[in-house]
Amino acid sequence: MTSGRECFPTENGDLHEDVKRHYRKTMSGFVIQDKVAKLLSRQNGKPVLRPIKPLALKNEVASRRMKKGEATCVTEMSLLMACWKLNDFNNAVCSKEVSAFYTCVEKAQSKAKGKQGTQD
Amino acid sequence: MAASVRYLLKPWTPSLYLVRWSRYNPYYLDPDPSKDARVLESELSPEQKELQELKTVRPIKAALSSDTSSSFNDPLISKFINMMMQDGNKILARGIMTQTLESIKRKQVEKYHKSPAAKKEEIECNPYTIFHQGLENCKPIIGLASVQKGGKSYQVPVPLTDNRRRFLAMKWMITECRDNKHRRTHMYEKLSQELLAAFANEGNVVKRKHDLHKMAEANRAYAHYRWW
Repeated sequence: MTSGRECFPTENGDLHEDVKRHYRKTMSGFVIQDKVAKLLSRQNGKPVLRPIKPLALKNEVASRRMKKGEATCVTEMSLLMACWKLNDFNNAVCSKEVSAFYTCVEKAQSKAKGKQGTQD
Repeated sequence: MAASVRYLLKPWTPSLYLVRWSRYNPYYLDPDPSKDARVLESELSPEQKELQELKTVRPIKAALSSDTSSSFNDPLISKFINMMMQDGNKILARGIMTQTLESIKRKQVEKYHKSPAAKKEEIECNPYTIFHQGLENCKPIIGLASVQKGGKSYQVPVPLTDNRRRFLAMKWMITECRDNKHRRTHMYEKLSQELLAAFANEGNVVKRKHDLHKMAEANRAYAHYRWW
């Protein structure tokens, strides 16, 4: 890049061709791989890096803050407990509330598993 | 000198043999030991067809030596036998289980023959159904978990997973029969009594389940302390 006019965008709103070529060269993996190879090599004395794990990015980003969740299926639980109190903890009479509670718990568990799958 | 050299020349065999571990890659599927599992393709639902496809492609875990392809193989009873087993004495645990089932059958058949004709249909004679139903009646629905909040720990009512419920029911049954009965009665006798009581929703194990439910009901105000 000879003159300073390459810094500014052209009339079309696009970047200058030389700037684009420079970006393409740095963005390509070859430049980065060469630099990493130089850091790991022992030809120039001790290597700068001594990695224990392979130098590769993970598929996800580390979570910043753990979101505090809330208790699941509290309404179903309270309905079930009300039924119990009325019927002296007889599960045969409260079978509808019991099954509703179970369905709610299953849904919550599958949701939590799905969320965990996408997070990790 | 010669002995030490000879020791080096012996072929090496591993002193620990690899058996089926429980820690497999989750990619592996569970084995299905039943022989007559093959159903006609037209009768399978799309999810079951997918499962069959998966079984042809994915690796499968090694089967346990206690899994048989016989029709008497019952996973719930196998699990109960394993939980009853002490010091690895599986033969004794299995013997106790068979004696329990036999005594349940004997008691029920005696009851059947003694009862009037009208009540005969109500009496269940199959010991396996009595075992399954009795255990089902012992399973708690809600459990308690200890949650620390503000320096104090509270007992919070919490939904339990199926495995945890099954485990608790079996554990209560076994501990009840071991500890709270007369010491001169045999284990199979104690178990059969307790299982028949559980089948009729009576007995100490069902009482323990009700106690847990009552505690959970008493602590229902703390239900919001949960975050999962």
